[in-house]
Amino acid sequence: MEVLARPYDLWEGIYKIWLVITVIIYAAVAIPSLIFMVKYRYKPGEREVGDHEHEGHWGLEALWTIIPLIIVLYLATHGFAIFTQMRKPPENALELRVTAFSWGWIFQYPNGKTVVASAIRDTEDKKCKPEECYGVDGVFQHYVYIPAGVPVKVLLTSQDVIHSFYVRAAGVTQDAVPGRTTYTWFQINEPGEYWVFCREYCGQWHSRMFAKLKVVPKEEFERWLRGETADGGHESEARKVANITEVREVVR
Amino acid sequence: MREAVHVERPWFSASLWEWIFTTDHKKIGIMYGVTSTLFFVIAGLMALGMRLELFSPGGQYMKPETYNYFLTVHGTVILLWWAIGIWSSFANFLIPLMIGARDVAFPRLNALGYWMFFAASVIALLTFIPGNHIMTMWTGYPPLAAKEGVGFAGTTALFVFIWHLTGFASIAGAVNFITTVIRMRAPGIGFWNLNLFIHGVIAANVIQLLGVPSVAGAVTMLFLDTYLKTSFFDPTKGGDPLLYQNLFWFYSHPAVYVMVLPAFGIISEIVSTFARKPIFGYKSMVVAIWAIAVVGFTVWTHHMFVSGIPDWVKILMSYTTLLIAVPTGIKIFNWVATLYRAAIVYRTPMLYALGAILMFLIGGLTGIPLGIPAFDIAVHDSYFVVGHFHYVLGMAVTLSAFGGFFYWWPKVTGRMYSEGLGKLSFWIVLVGSNLLYFPQLVIGLLGMPRRYYDYPAIPEWVTLHQIQTYGAFILALGLLIAMVALIKGAFSGERVGPNPWESNSLEWRIPSPPPPQNFDTPPKVEENFCPHGYRKL
Ligand code: HEM
Ligand SMILES: [Cu+2]
Ligand SMILES: [Cu+2]
Repeated sequence: MEVLARPYDLWEGIYKIWLVITVIIYAAVAIPSLIFMVKYRYKPGEREVGDHEHEGHWGLEALWTIIPLIIVLYLATHGFAIFTQMRKPPENALELRVTAFSWGWIFQYPNGKTVVASAIRDTEDKKCKPEECYGVDGVFQHYVYIPAGVPVKVLLTSQDVIHSFYVRAAGVTQDAVPGRTTYTWFQINEPGEYWVFCREYCGQWHSRMFAKLKVVPKEEFERWLRGETADGGHESEARKVANITEVREVVR
Repeated sequence: MREAVHVERPWFSASLWEWIFTTDHKKIGIMYGVTSTLFFVIAGLMALGMRLELFSPGGQYMKPETYNYFLTVHGTVILLWWAIGIWSSFANFLIPLMIGARDVAFPRLNALGYWMFFAASVIALLTFIPGNHIMTMWTGYPPLAAKEGVGFAGTTALFVFIWHLTGFASIAGAVNFITTVIRMRAPGIGFWNLNLFIHGVIAANVIQLLGVPSVAGAVTMLFLDTYLKTSFFDPTKGGDPLLYQNLFWFYSHPAVYVMVLPAFGIISEIVSTFARKPIFGYKSMVVAIWAIAVVGFTVWTHHMFVSGIPDWVKILMSYTTLLIAVPTGIKIFNWVATLYRAAIVYRTPMLYALGAILMFLIGGLTGIPLGIPAFDIAVHDSYFVVGHFHYVLGMAVTLSAFGGFFYWWPKVTGRMYSEGLGKLSFWIVLVGSNLLYFPQLVIGLLGMPRRYYDYPAIPEWVTLHQIQTYGAFILALGLLIAMVALIKGAFSGERVGPNPWESNSLEWRIPSPPPPQNFDTPPKVEENFCPHGYRKL
């Protein structure tokens, strides 16, 4: 069966392993604790002082050093293997350049097409109804079209402070740092709308720094990219909104 | 020699003048305790404000800059005043008593340290003045933190001074406590029969001594970047923002052990006393404490897994991070083993200590996946991290601190706290905390980013935020009851003798409250003295 998003499938694998180990360890500590807590209560005349023979036991102490050691070495090594896979974008990935700014994102496609996703333009208070604050209004906040089933490699940087690019469905987070280019990749297989949030605190409107991905079938995406559908490019607006004169210069 | 002026009267009958000029470790300990607790309450009230704002999506009654200010102060104050500062209170009051000394090694330096801490407190209060708000978050990452003004950092200088002044107090305290324990122990007390609380505190202070200079340097450079336009962290002039993060976390990761090692110490004291049995595996406990302190300095980039550092560094520090779970585990298993064939007396301090152990375990087990980059990549800077550190700080550290309050209250005040209210407070705190912190773990796994003033109306998110808000108010009620139980005890509690818990540790061999000079003659300990060896009187 095809997964909804990558590399979320890899993440789910390690999440499940962790969850099982965690529940087992918690039970292994909590159950004996609760038994001892009930069984070894102070009882006048009968049990007034604890047993002074048990001040330590090298065998036991070695046991609960070595077993946890094996568990964490396994987890770290398994994590290492998964992480290596996660960080390797597939060869055929679509390359998307994303420039973060306070408070929004500029998405540039390989053919130069630019989309701006910005809910907030300046430090003014934005009045919006709760259901509208995170809507796509088509003025400053546009859908970011992504082809379904195609891996997307994202090259990230920032124009001002540090932001962080998080694709919720794919489970990837990567900081956008001024003066650096960082990367991540993701792939979403089912058409629909998906959240992108900023995850590094970036000032006043950090919480409204989002984008909406519109994942569409590949053919539809290509028509959109050529400008044949209604929701077209917004390069001039991009410059206006983000106060940018040289988008390409910044992304490099 | 000022300390010789006021003899014979216990600490609480001192005049204001005596409080201000005192160099008595007990008075200074109490001043730290009062200051830290006061700021704990302030930070807690700000958190309640934030929880109300987050109760439903959309802006409720706060502006985002107000929320960001609240969160910055909440984080900074809870960490520097509560999770670190409160241990200065315990350390000051208890170290000399536990090692049989009359005071600390450098009483005047000790007083200076407190007054620096006090100055930091004044600066923290100054941020309440509109126009002085700080909105850097407790981490103060540049370039944001170097951008003064309302939408960005607020008043960066105040953030920097808070770190400088609390840092000075930390170093003064560290020099003092370390020297005291090395030089002033009563004959017969050595490395292998010190109280575990002392091992925890001294390991924490060694970390302070080695780590604080790093963060102090980082915020100093931040200050220069902000006001003198230097470019340590400014990429447009060749600086690097990640340098700040490295310097910051080189201290601030080990700092989490400054917060938790003394808590471990208190848990050990309480568990062995109320189990009426020596602590299990004393030696491995000591080794574990010091191993945590040392290895703690080699893991800091786990806070930077998505910041753009090379992948091999992430893997390296992933291994070291997970390695710390091993000594931590040893401590937990040893506590459990201490309960085996014990004679457990359930008084309030014991409830708090046992709660701290079982809740710390959740904090530790949720820390492990954060140390695995493949896992962290999905939850970095999410509420999962928030849940993780609230299990360790909001529960393990806070429950231990309150356990410690109840445990040593008779020693400090000479009177017993109110037992009924104390036990009640524990159960309310436990329920409230879990309602508050467990949903944070869940909502974080569902993607909710941290440090958000507002969030989209995703149905599960809304529900999970509402549960948190209810939990927060239940928790606040519990803490309020705990404080009432203590304060009521101080005024009208039953008078107690030197050793109400029948502990073998030295602080229980002198009257409650301790006389000004602690010990009339340097105490002599029995052969094979062990502070955790319960003895039948
Ligand atoms: C087995 C023990 C622990 C492990 C493996 C662990 C691991 C981690 C990791 C990897 C992070 C970074 C997560 C991220 O930002 O994505 C983190 C965050 C944090 N941890 Fe722990 N931790 C442990 C215990 C503790 C303890 C004992 C404390 C405090 C007493 C603590 C306090 C914190 C805090 C405050 C943060 C958040 C810092 C921030 O970004 O503001 N942790 N922990
Ligand atoms: Cu942001
Ligand atoms: Cu850390």
